[in-house]
Amino acid sequence: MRKPKNKKFRFVSQKKVLVLFFLVLAAFIFLFARIVWLIKNNETEYQKQVLSQRSYDSKTLPARRGDIVDAKGVKLATCEKVYNMVVDASVMTTKDGKYIETTLSALQQCFPQLDVAEIRTFVKQNPSNQWHVVLKKLTYDQIYDFRVMQGENKDIKGIWFEEEFRRIYPGGSLAADVIGFTRSDNQGLYGLEEFYNKELNGVDGRTYGYLDDDLNLQKTVKPAVDGYTVHSTIDSNIQSIVERCLYDFNEAHKNHNHYGDGAENLGCIVMEVNTGNILAMASYPTFNLNDTKNTSALLGGVQVAQVDKENGYFEIKKTGKYIDQELLDSMTDDEILTNLNYLWKNYCIASSYEPGSTFKPFTVAAALETDSISPDSYYECLGSWQVGPHNIHCHNRYGDGVISLKSAVAQSCNVAMMKIATTMGAEKFSKFQQAFNFGLKTNVDLAGEARTADFLRSASEMDASDLATYSFGQNFNVTMIQLATGFCSLINGGYYYEPHMVSKITNSSGVTVKNIEPRILKQTISASTSELIREYCKAVVTEGTGKAARPAGYMIGGKTGTAQTYPRDGNDFVVSFVGFAPADDPQVLVYVVVDRVNEAKQDNVGYAREIVRNIFTEVLPYMNIFMTEELSAKEIKELEDRQLANTLKYGKALENPDETQSDDTPDMQEKDPAWKSFPKDPATGYLKDPNTGELLDPDTGDPINGTHSALDF
Amino acid sequence: MATESVVERTKENIQHHTDVSLWFALLFLLGFGMVMIYSASSYTAFAEHSDQMYYLKRQAIAVGLGLIAMLVVSRIPYHFWERFALLGLMLSTILILLVKTSLGVESHGARRWLKTGIPGFNLQPAEVAKVAIILFLSVMICKMGASIVKFKGFMLMMIPPAILFLLIWKVTDNLSSALIVMAIAVILVFVASPDYKKFVLLALLAIAGAVAIVLIVKYTNPQGSFRLSRIRVWLDPESDPDDKGFQTLQALYAIGSGGVWGKGLGQSMQKLSFLPESQNDMIFSIICEELGVFGAAAIMLMFVVLIWRMMIIANNAPDLFGGLLVTGVIAHIAVQAVLNIAVVTNTIPNTGISLPFISYGGSSVIFLLVEMGWVMSVARGIEYRN
Repeated sequence: MRKPKNKKFRFVSQKKVLVLFFLVLAAFIFLFARIVWLIKNNETEYQKQVLSQRSYDSKTLPARRGDIVDAKGVKLATCEKVYNMVVDASVMTTKDGKYIETTLSALQQCFPQLDVAEIRTFVKQNPSNQWHVVLKKLTYDQIYDFRVMQGENKDIKGIWFEEEFRRIYPGGSLAADVIGFTRSDNQGLYGLEEFYNKELNGVDGRTYGYLDDDLNLQKTVKPAVDGYTVHSTIDSNIQSIVERCLYDFNEAHKNHNHYGDGAENLGCIVMEVNTGNILAMASYPTFNLNDTKNTSALLGGVQVAQVDKENGYFEIKKTGKYIDQELLDSMTDDEILTNLNYLWKNYCIASSYEPGSTFKPFTVAAALETDSISPDSYYECLGSWQVGPHNIHCHNRYGDGVISLKSAVAQSCNVAMMKIATTMGAEKFSKFQQAFNFGLKTNVDLAGEARTADFLRSASEMDASDLATYSFGQNFNVTMIQLATGFCSLINGGYYYEPHMVSKITNSSGVTVKNIEPRILKQTISASTSELIREYCKAVVTEGTGKAARPAGYMIGGKTGTAQTYPRDGNDFVVSFVGFAPADDPQVLVYVVVDRVNEAKQDNVGYAREIVRNIFTEVLPYMNIFMTEELSAKEIKELEDRQLANTLKYGKALENPDETQSDDTPDMQEKDPAWKSFPKDPATGYLKDPNTGELLDPDTGDPINGTHSALDF
Repeated sequence: MATESVVERTKENIQHHTDVSLWFALLFLLGFGMVMIYSASSYTAFAEHSDQMYYLKRQAIAVGLGLIAMLVVSRIPYHFWERFALLGLMLSTILILLVKTSLGVESHGARRWLKTGIPGFNLQPAEVAKVAIILFLSVMICKMGASIVKFKGFMLMMIPPAILFLLIWKVTDNLSSALIVMAIAVILVFVASPDYKKFVLLALLAIAGAVAIVLIVKYTNPQGSFRLSRIRVWLDPESDPDDKGFQTLQALYAIGSGGVWGKGLGQSMQKLSFLPESQNDMIFSIICEELGVFGAAAIMLMFVVLIWRMMIIANNAPDLFGGLLVTGVIAHIAVQAVLNIAVVTNTIPNTGISLPFISYGGSSVIFLLVEMGWVMSVARGIEYRN
C-alpha cells in the first residue's frame, strides 16, 4: 500500500475521525449524565439497600457452664468442648464443584458413620445453602484427623465446626441425686445443677458487626463470661463408700422375697455434726448422669403411674409392680418418662415417710427441756397403753417393766414415750416439733425438697392418740434431711445448723465470689439436755437396740427406728438407723433408711444398722478420727479382712498374705506403750518407772517430775 | 491537563513524536486500574485464594508484559505487520475453533478460553480476533482503495468480519465480543468511506432492530432464550432480583450508594462478595461506589483524552494504513469503554464486556497494549511539520 490509487485515499478522512471522536464523546457525556441521574434519584434508597444486605455477623459465643467440684476439688460435673459439623454448600460448590468430591471423600474417611451420599445430594440441590448441620457433639478427638487433612489439602472446603459445650459427669452415677443434670439448653434439672443454675450458667458473649459514622463495618466482641464453679461439701471418697455400701446391700437382698431391688428405696445422709455440711448423700436405685434416659436403670424398681385428678392436678402412685424387661417393653414413652422422673428424684430430700423410733430422742429432749420430766424419771411399761379408745402396743408385747428414762430410749420403749408426751402436752410437743423444723423445709441448697407441712398436725388439731403416736415417730411424715439435721442439733449442744451442700462459689479464674459459712439458725435445746441425749443414744449402742451398729474401734451413739407403713395391717416397714461418732464428741452423723427391704420379714432394724456400721468402719478412719475403743481380736480380724478385701479390689493380692498382715497389724492395733504396764505408785497414784523411779502420768505417760518436763507449768 | 505535543530532535535530525498526554492517560488508566483491582478484589481474593493480592499480582504481571510488548511494537515500523494480515485472521479463526477442543477452558458457565500452559493465564481468542480484524481490514481497505465506495466493495469488505462475528458468537458463545468485532469493522469502513448515507441508514436500521426486539420482549414475554431474558431483566432489573437481575441491581446499588463523593477508596461494601465480578466487568461500579461521580468523571475524562490523542495521531498518520490502524484501535477502546459503562449503569442489557486497561483480565490488557504499540509506532512515523 505504498502507492495509494488516488489522492483521496492517501490519508484517513480527518473529518470522519473527528465525527467518530465526537460520537464517542457524546456517548461518554450521555453515560455521565446517566450516572448523575442514577445517584440523584436513588442514592438514599440504594444506600439503605446496601446496608440492609450486610449481615453484620452477629454471633453468639457460648459461655462455659461452671464446674461442680467436691470438697477436695475433684470434679463432679464439668464441661467439654464439642463440635457440630456444618456443611457450607455455597463454598463447596465454588470453582465448578471441584471441591465437592475431595471434601466428601475426606469426610467419608474420617467419619464412617456419615451418609456422604446424602450430603452430596443436599449440596447439589442447595448450592447456595451455607448452614447445614450434619453431625452434632463431636469430640476433639473425633474431628482431629479431619482437621489435619483439612490443613494439608486445600481442596477440602466448605466444612466448618461450630463450637459448643457438653456437660459431662466424670463420676457417672456418683452422687447422681445430689448433682442433678442439665437439659440440652443448659438448664439444670434436679440437685445442685438446678439449685445453682444461675451461678453455674455464665453469660453468653456475642460478636457484633456494626457500621460506624463513616459507614465502615466495625466488629466488637463481647466475650462470654464463663459460669462459676460450685464447691460442694460432698467428699467423693465418703460418697463412694456410702454408695458402695448401699449397692452391696442391694446386691445382697435383691430378688429375695420377690423380683426386684434389695429395697424399694435406700437412702443415706452423712453429715458433719458441727457445721451442717453434708459429706455424702445417696440413694438407691440410682442412675448414670451421663446417660440419664437409659431405661435399664429402671429395672428392678417399683413402677409408678400418673393418676390424673379432676381439678387438673395429678398424683404419682405406685402400681405395686416391679419393672422387669417385659414390663419395660410394654410401657409407653410417657409412662417411661414418669418412671424416670420418679427415679431422678432425690429420695433423701424429696420423699417423706414415718420416722419411727429415731424420733424418740426428740420427744425426750423436748420433755427434758420443758422440765416436764427429769432425767431420773422411771416409767412402767406393761406392753401396751390405753389412749382413749386405742390400746397402743409397745414393740415389746410383754412389756419392758419399770425402766429408767435412759433405758426407755435404749430399749426404745413406746409406752414410756407416750407417757412422756402426755405429761408434756400437745402444746409443748408441737412447739418443739417445729423448733426442730419438722413440717418445715430445711432449706438445704438442693432443688426438689419436699413439703411436709400437710403430714403433721398442729397442737390444736392433735388429739390424745395423735400425741401418743407422734411421741414414737408414727402418724406423721418427715424427710431424711429433716431428721438428720434435727438430730445433729440434738447431739451437738443444741445448735441447729442449716444443712448445706455448697461451701464456696468461685469464678472461672478461681477467685472466690461467695463463701458459704456454716449457719446456725437457732438453738433448739440447751447444752445440758444435749449432753443427756448423747448419753442416752450411747446407751442405745452399749446396752440397747443398736449394739450391732458399733464399728470396730469406735464408740458411737445412735437410735434405731422401725415404722410400719400404710396400710397398717400390711407387713411393710421402713427401718432406719441414725448414728453419730465419736459418742462423746460427735463429729459425724450417718443416717440410713431402708424402705421396704426385699425380705419376707421387713421389721428388722438390723438392715439399717448393718449399713451404718459398714459406713462408719470405713469413713471414720478416712476422716482421721482416732479410735476411742480397744479392738478385740475378732475386730482386728474383721478390719484386716476388710482392708484386704479393699486392697484386692484395686490390685493383686501379695504372694505372702501373712507378711501383709504383719505389716498392717501395727497400724490396725495400737499396742500399749511400755509405761502402761508400770506398777502404780500407791502414794501418788502415778505410775512408777521401776528402772528410774520416775513418776509418770497414767494417761499420757509424761513424767510428773518437773525436771524432765519440757513444759513450763 | 497538558495536551500539547512535545517535539524531540535527535542527532540525525529526525523528528519523533512522543505524546506525553497519551502516555499520561494510558499510564493513569493502567495504574488506576490496578489500584481499583486491588480494592475490589482483595476481599474475595483472600476468601478464595487466601491471598489479598492474588488478582493484583496477576494483573501486574500482565500489565508488565503488555508494556514491554508495547514498547517493542512501537519501535517496529507498522508496515512490518501488513504481511501478517491474512495470517492473523486465519490464526484467530483457528484459535476460536480450538475452544471446542480439549484445549478449551470453561469458566463462568461459558467456554471462551484457551489453555496457554501458564497456570492461571488463559487466552481469550476473541481478544486475538479484535487485533486481527483491525490489522486485516486496514490492509484490505488500503488494497481496495476507492472500490469500497461501491456497494459491492462495501459488501466484500464486510464478509471477513461477518464470518468472525458468527464464529465468535456461535462457537465461543460470546455475543458481546462478536458485536465489538463488528463495530470495529463498521467504524473502520466508515472512516475510510467518504460518504455518510449508508452508515446513517445502517445505524437507523440497527436501532430499529434493537427497538423491535425490546418491544417484542416487553409485550410477548418469550421464554427460554438466555439473551432475551437479559433484555427483560434490563427493562426491569427488580423483576428477578435474586438471579438474573442480581448483578445489575448490585451494580446499581453500588453506583447509587456511592453518591457524589463516594465512600472513599477501599470502603466499598458491595465488593464484599455481593457484587459478582467486582474486579472484572463490574469494576466501574466499584469505582463509582468508592470515588463517587468524581471518580467516574476522572476515568471517562482519561478515556476521552486517550481517544483525543489517538485521533490526532490518526489524522496526522503518514499514510492511510497508519491512520486506519489507529482508528481501529480507537474504535476498539471506545466501543468497549462505552459499552462497559453502559452495561454497568444498566443503559443497555447486561453482557460481559470489560473496561479497557482497568478491568482484570490478562489477555485483554496485553492485546490492548500491543495495539497501543501500533499507535505509538504510527506516531513515530509522523514527520514534524511546521
